[in-house]
Amino acid sequence: MSVETILVVGGGISGITTAVEAAEVGYNTVLVEKSPYLGGRVAQLSKYFPKLCPPYCGLEMNFRRIKPNPKITVYTTTEVESVSGQEGNYSVRLKINPRYVNEKCTSCNACAEACPSERPNEFNFGMDKTKAAYLPHVMSYPMRYVIDRNACKDKSCDKCVKACIYNAIDLNMKPQTVDIKVGSIVYATGWNPYDATKMDNLGYGRIKNVITNMMLERLASPNGPTGGKLLRPSDKKEVKKVVFVQCAGSRDENHLNYCSAICCMASLKHATYFRERIADSKVLIAYIDLRAPGKYEEFLVKVQSDPNVTMVKGKVARIEEDPATGDVILEFEDIEGGGKRHERADMAVLATGMEPSVKVDSLLSFEENGFIIGGKAAGICSTGVAKRPSDVTTSIQDATGAALKSIQSLVRS
Amino acid sequence: MAQDTVFTPDVRFVRELKKAGGDTLKKCYQCATCSVVCPLSPDDKPFPRKEMLMAQWGLKDELIKSSDIWLCHNCNDCSKYCPRGAKPGDVLAILRKSVIQENAFPRFMGKLVGDPNNIWQALAIPVVLFLVILGATGHLHIPEGEVVFSKFFPVEFIDGVFVPLSGLAVLMFAISISRFWKNMTAGSSMKPKAEFMPSLVETLKEIMTHAKFKKCDENKDRSVAHVLVFYGFIGLAITTGWAVFNLYILQWELPYAVDEHALSIFGGSAAAAWAYKIIFKLFANASALMLLAGGFLVIKNRLKERAVETTTSSFDWLFASIVLLVGVTGFLAQVMRVTGFPAVLAYATYFIHLVLVFYIIIYVPYSKLAHFVYRTAAITWTKMLKRDVEM
Repeated sequence: MSVETILVVGGGISGITTAVEAAEVGYNTVLVEKSPYLGGRVAQLSKYFPKLCPPYCGLEMNFRRIKPNPKITVYTTTEVESVSGQEGNYSVRLKINPRYVNEKCTSCNACAEACPSERPNEFNFGMDKTKAAYLPHVMSYPMRYVIDRNACKDKSCDKCVKACIYNAIDLNMKPQTVDIKVGSIVYATGWNPYDATKMDNLGYGRIKNVITNMMLERLASPNGPTGGKLLRPSDKKEVKKVVFVQCAGSRDENHLNYCSAICCMASLKHATYFRERIADSKVLIAYIDLRAPGKYEEFLVKVQSDPNVTMVKGKVARIEEDPATGDVILEFEDIEGGGKRHERADMAVLATGMEPSVKVDSLLSFEENGFIIGGKAAGICSTGVAKRPSDVTTSIQDATGAALKSIQSLVRS
Repeated sequence: MAQDTVFTPDVRFVRELKKAGGDTLKKCYQCATCSVVCPLSPDDKPFPRKEMLMAQWGLKDELIKSSDIWLCHNCNDCSKYCPRGAKPGDVLAILRKSVIQENAFPRFMGKLVGDPNNIWQALAIPVVLFLVILGATGHLHIPEGEVVFSKFFPVEFIDGVFVPLSGLAVLMFAISISRFWKNMTAGSSMKPKAEFMPSLVETLKEIMTHAKFKKCDENKDRSVAHVLVFYGFIGLAITTGWAVFNLYILQWELPYAVDEHALSIFGGSAAAAWAYKIIFKLFANASALMLLAGGFLVIKNRLKERAVETTTSSFDWLFASIVLLVGVTGFLAQVMRVTGFPAVLAYATYFIHLVLVFYIIIYVPYSKLAHFVYRTAAITWTKMLKRDVEM
């Protein structure tokens, strides 16, 4: 007799979808997320396809489905430590890392106000800082603060504990382990942006005004480091001219030997961020090929029709900094007949690709590019970008399929 | 405005390129990373992206006319950054080989020397020729006594072979190059903006200093190796001329004994004769050592790079090996002579050395060595067009 529970590893849009869909047809689901909040990469976006709404719209709907559903158990700051057994009866040990803040938290911000230490804000890719006592982002689920003990410079400091009138902070919290039984497992472990410093010719990390596409999402977000203003990092000047560097690391055997599937549409969307907010801004997209599949082509045509948006066939292969102004100078060949160009811009955005977050696991089998095919044994499958590079819409469709697949595992065994 | 351009793809040419070592060329997806990272590629109509496309399409006629493939010094910065592993550096090397072969006169010599599979036939020609000469003149035996190479293979015979044949080679080369020059200049859509002579002088200056080669980011070691081989060759050419001067003008024969005749040349001063002889020998040996060290470094670098971003074509390997062997055999022959090695070994080594020297000198219009003239011509033309990168 199978255990009627499904474990979903990863609380991004794919994991949330699988958990919610399976729970809503009557199965118990356990949703495990490593970071202190749900929403994953989608939560970091400014707007997302297909409707270009802010991600909180879609995420909030999902949180509303999770919250009242007794069939869903959510663990944040939690990792899967070990898995054993077979389809229908897996024993899983979870490790819950201490959050140092319990469920009494009302998100009043008193702890952060009292906190003397700061940490780089990884939610904003280090472009600003938070206190060591912080709320991951304004729509965090669970809506609860976290304390980054690595950032507490003075370990004996207890200013936050004293500031909290709800007794929500416990600095002595220890890691906990929880053993659960599940019938099937879905890996929705998602992706990390490819490390752009590895492309030494593109200058990321060395040149301030070279940023990545995900950093731009944060810059454009109302809750981002600039409050949604498109200012370049070096001098906070408004960006009048931006160049998008497509395939920065993707389709490149020295980096990611595959197309990351989303970067073309992301850059087209980013072009609209600039064009909608800065009237006389100029956008140049340097590409090898533009991939706008299916209905997305309409969006491509729309962006192309803007006279301030130029698209040039030719990959940017060198970026230098003008030290006097902080401007970036990008070098590429205009293949359709323009020769080598040295384009000056206020800022360059690297369309960096997606790298699977889980790369080794003895339980899983991986395809040649490192994405998860599924479990070596039955009852384990993958979904979303953990399985293949894909956009949000495709991930959600796939995650719904993964819910069915994991239910079939329970029924079968 | 409407103007039709008809391209005639030559599929066989594509196959030949792939077979000769350019098997990666079809991997190229035209991103032009190569054109940007190349330190030698001009802004206007840069290479090697367009050459990669032309090679994929089999546009042989276009490529044969190209001056740009000769601007490439095979630094392989392009191949290092190529996202597809298409190795533009290697493909351009193969294209240069094809151009040497296409312009070869007579045609069959291009095939004989250009295709490394024919190496044994190519070497058989001097071997048979030398054996016939030695046999016909009754020299086909190991001479008695102290090893003196001219006892085995008299210098007059060597000169009798090399002087007329190298004259012929120069003539053949001139025909090949004028054909190349005509195609290149006629095929260019641009008009020259500078005169021939100043451009040539500038090009030669650049070659002497290896200014272009030094711009390579990747493989800086290669310019050192090339400098050594380059000046080794020049030194040995001077040595040869000097030896001819000694023999026919001074009438002083090898092995330059300081005898009465020598004293009469140097006004009776034995010291002057010795000094002259020692300077000559030092110069010759220094040149040979440069060639030897350079040849060794060329091979070492290529072996090192091979795993990373380049698969040197067999055409290039062959020539690099022959250069190294010429140095090794020449040097060994001398060492064996001076240290009293068994005569048969010393003479055999000397014989092999002569065969290899024949290969290098007489086959110059068809071997990898031909690049020094093709490249000089192409860079000169590029300078005349004023599209060369600033040094």
